[in-house]
Amino acid sequence: MKNMNLKKLIATLGASAMISAGLVVAVAAPAQAADPVCVTDAKTGTITCEGKLSNGAAYKTMVPSNYDGTFYFWQHGIRPSYPYPGYTPPKGVEQMAPTSVNHKVDTTKSMLTLGYGLAAYDCSTGGLHGWNTADCVEMLNELVTITKSRISIKKTIVYGASMAGVVLTPFIEKYPNQADAVGILAGLTPSVNNELKSGCDMLYIFSVFFDPTIKGCGVMGTKGLPGHMAVLGDFPKVVALLTQWSKDSGALPLAYPAALVGSGIPQRSALLLAGLIAGLPTKSASFDGISTSTLIPEQSINATLAILQNTGELLGTAYFGGQAVSEVVGAGFYDNTKTDFASLLSDADLGRFNLGLSGDDGINAMLAMLAAAPRVTGNAEAMAKIAALDKAKFDTSKPVVLLSNEADRLVLPGNTPLYLNKAKASYESKLASWEKKYAAATTSSQVSALLKSKPVWNTVAMYALTPETYTKFTAAGLPDSKAAISPSGVGHESFTKDQLMLWVRVLASSAKTGKVPSQGVMSSLLAATPYLNTDPDYQPNELKYQD
Amino acid sequence: MNLRKPLILTVVASALVGSLAISSVSATAASDPGVTSSEIVLGMQLPQTGAASPGYNKVDDAARAYFDYVNSKGGVNGRSIKLVVKDDTYKAGLTISTASKLINEDKIFAFFGSIGTQTHVSIIKDINRRKIPDIFVNSGYSGFYTDPKKYPTTFGGLGTYTVEAKILGKYLKEKYADKKIGILYQSDDFGRNALAGFTAAGLKFEAKKTSASFVAGTQGSLGLGTQIGQLKANGVDIVIIAAVSSATAVAYATASALAYKPTKWAVISVGADATTFQTILGAKGVPAATSAAMLAGTISASHAPAPGDATDEYVTAFKKINEDFNKGVDKRWDNNIMQGMNIAYLATSALMGVGKDLTRAKLIAYLENNGSKLSSAAFAPLGYSKSTHEAFTGFWLGEYDATTLLAPIDGKRVVYTTDSGTGEVTVSNYKRTAIAADALPKVA
Repeated sequence: MKNMNLKKLIATLGASAMISAGLVVAVAAPAQAADPVCVTDAKTGTITCEGKLSNGAAYKTMVPSNYDGTFYFWQHGIRPSYPYPGYTPPKGVEQMAPTSVNHKVDTTKSMLTLGYGLAAYDCSTGGLHGWNTADCVEMLNELVTITKSRISIKKTIVYGASMAGVVLTPFIEKYPNQADAVGILAGLTPSVNNELKSGCDMLYIFSVFFDPTIKGCGVMGTKGLPGHMAVLGDFPKVVALLTQWSKDSGALPLAYPAALVGSGIPQRSALLLAGLIAGLPTKSASFDGISTSTLIPEQSINATLAILQNTGELLGTAYFGGQAVSEVVGAGFYDNTKTDFASLLSDADLGRFNLGLSGDDGINAMLAMLAAAPRVTGNAEAMAKIAALDKAKFDTSKPVVLLSNEADRLVLPGNTPLYLNKAKASYESKLASWEKKYAAATTSSQVSALLKSKPVWNTVAMYALTPETYTKFTAAGLPDSKAAISPSGVGHESFTKDQLMLWVRVLASSAKTGKVPSQGVMSSLLAATPYLNTDPDYQPNELKYQD
Repeated sequence: MNLRKPLILTVVASALVGSLAISSVSATAASDPGVTSSEIVLGMQLPQTGAASPGYNKVDDAARAYFDYVNSKGGVNGRSIKLVVKDDTYKAGLTISTASKLINEDKIFAFFGSIGTQTHVSIIKDINRRKIPDIFVNSGYSGFYTDPKKYPTTFGGLGTYTVEAKILGKYLKEKYADKKIGILYQSDDFGRNALAGFTAAGLKFEAKKTSASFVAGTQGSLGLGTQIGQLKANGVDIVIIAAVSSATAVAYATASALAYKPTKWAVISVGADATTFQTILGAKGVPAATSAAMLAGTISASHAPAPGDATDEYVTAFKKINEDFNKGVDKRWDNNIMQGMNIAYLATSALMGVGKDLTRAKLIAYLENNGSKLSSAAFAPLGYSKSTHEAFTGFWLGEYDATTLLAPIDGKRVVYTTDSGTGEVTVSNYKRTAIAADALPKVA
């Protein structure tokens, strides 16, 4: 397995590969947006305009020569406010359309070729990023308004990735007339608190089992640069553990690195337990959680390696996402005084991974250690604030199309079924209410009016799956993390071009008709796109917390 | 996330894009998948290959043989029964992916007879979420069946480990009151479930002394030397085994190597199948005669007739069908084939009982309302109801003879019954229905 280091882990979270030693300086926001500056590409005829929103944040639009009236507005994910080794916060528009690092795909050109207009902006407030989701909702609205005033738009689509999920969902509920369809790619389902709890749980378990100096989510909460530096001081402790395990796993896959202090339980079992409690996927870029070899004789060992490979990004999210959130809600948003860690292990996990967890005795011993360890007591005000953060009702009547990887290790795939379930509950509630009114209707005019307002289920989720097995082993039987990774279903915001473009096209169709495609049509489309789920009822593992 | 380098992309405006006609027309309403006017498709998962496959890999061929026999007689309400089987090699990851294939590619009507506790636990929640019938699972783990609110579509195909352990435990406690009784169990749902039954029967085990456990799956790589040595060192006279057959075989071989000769072995039935036991030891170079001698005297239990019982009418009928219809590689008559045939017989009964208008919901409702009235080769009644989906609620106890036949203790078969809870163990007065001359169930 490749060595993990701080630089690489952070690079997976950020956008730029440039190293910067300086800090971003806050930029004063102008009072109102200035007119954009536009240029026309002599070769393609595409008109590109660049301007600034009223707070000074940059935006950009692109209109192809064959523009068909469909306009896509891109909402990017979280961007840290301060630079790290290997990462510089962006100072402008980074991307115009969905991209994928794993697959080296940028869909901008493809979307322009199809005649779609594109818009994107830099969601920064006063030059800073972080968890400025409430600001993003308003800035996106401003961008849509500005663009509509400049360009003739028939259908408006707002779409985005990752943190965009907690921007776009409140956005369409607050501004229902500003878009005709919503696309959420590898997106968080409001609230981020669900996933942060799992990340914080995992950090807490690391502190109990491996390194008591790890402060985890307890280190977060100080605003500005000091808070950023505090996180930057804690995260390397986790990176050091992961690095050591990664080095060791290549040489001693069954024994790395040593038993937990005071027990005969190998640390790999504790790592697996921590990952399962957090709900991390048991598949990763290199490891399918199934394949075995002479040196990896049992599937749960493979799954442990997958957990190891996935852990860096989840905990990176917990640290830097958590710090960003804590700047909004305050310190002490995490509390585990009432957490029953045993209840976070599913029957399926206990059965499937029993061997990797060192059997019942090992599981019981580890849970006993967790039960006996001092707990983290949160701050009631911060806890209340985070619980209310980015709240949404999931009641939009506009088409919503989601695409998620089966084994996304950063925004866990369970976010997507959670969105579906919440939207379903809202839809069914509205439908029940409608049916009650319909049953009570006595005049033809009442019936006619009601028929026009009957709630419609208008959400569809697509999942990119992995092949059944894909782990590669070296000639010696060791797990090979340097071999080609899974062609689909792993990583964050990593999709094939075909998968991304299907998502884009389904959004265009949905915006045009006002409805997501029927199940039959979706089945045909999914079947024609490699590695997308052909099972309409497919669900990845659920999030451990579903508030 | 931004790409680090601008990419020159070859933009291919897919022909699909222009021609794509995405409509919002609703899908046509359809009946449940896997059932047509001429066919019912059932899906089974089991280890057909791999270390856990010996013995178990005969169950599917046996079941298919019975269904083929039924089909040769006109099927059920004019429908033939097709059994699609997936090999999960006893790896839960493959159980998940093969379940998806059965549902989405093979369009099965119901899961049927899937084998394995650790594997089935990985998919049972999803199957139930989808409301797909999950009938006659070949696992005795009571946790699958005793709470129908949790798993409303799942029905057992074996008596539970708890029921069996309670019955076996009561016998051992009374028969060997002056002996030290110990246990070797695998530390998973199977082993824990059985341990709970033995404890409920009043047996007491002392951890690290008379109670030894191992992590399921390590019996082959790590062996059971420590555990067997522990039981020997603590003077255990009666050794109970609650583990899969491969572990039973390793335990016997280890005891032999350690010159440990307990007064009696008592093995939970799924770990005591004679042919599986002998196949596994045979692969290690142990002659059949030797392994038969090792097994002789072992106490075990069964809900069905011993496969070697030539006087039993179900055995006779099923053996004939096995001869005529089994196309499997290994069709040697044994307990695995008996079980495969019997659950296929039960499935046929249930499908007949639902009638022509077959739906998933109706099958589940039928089993809850009428399942306990179905007959089979078993000497114990079925427990199916709205409050429990347990299968056979009774066992008879036997002892392996020198020919690997499980013969009733003291020469008389007495069936005991109980539940997976706190109910008493009593003698069952259940009378098995005779099999019809054509070996087909007769269901109103």
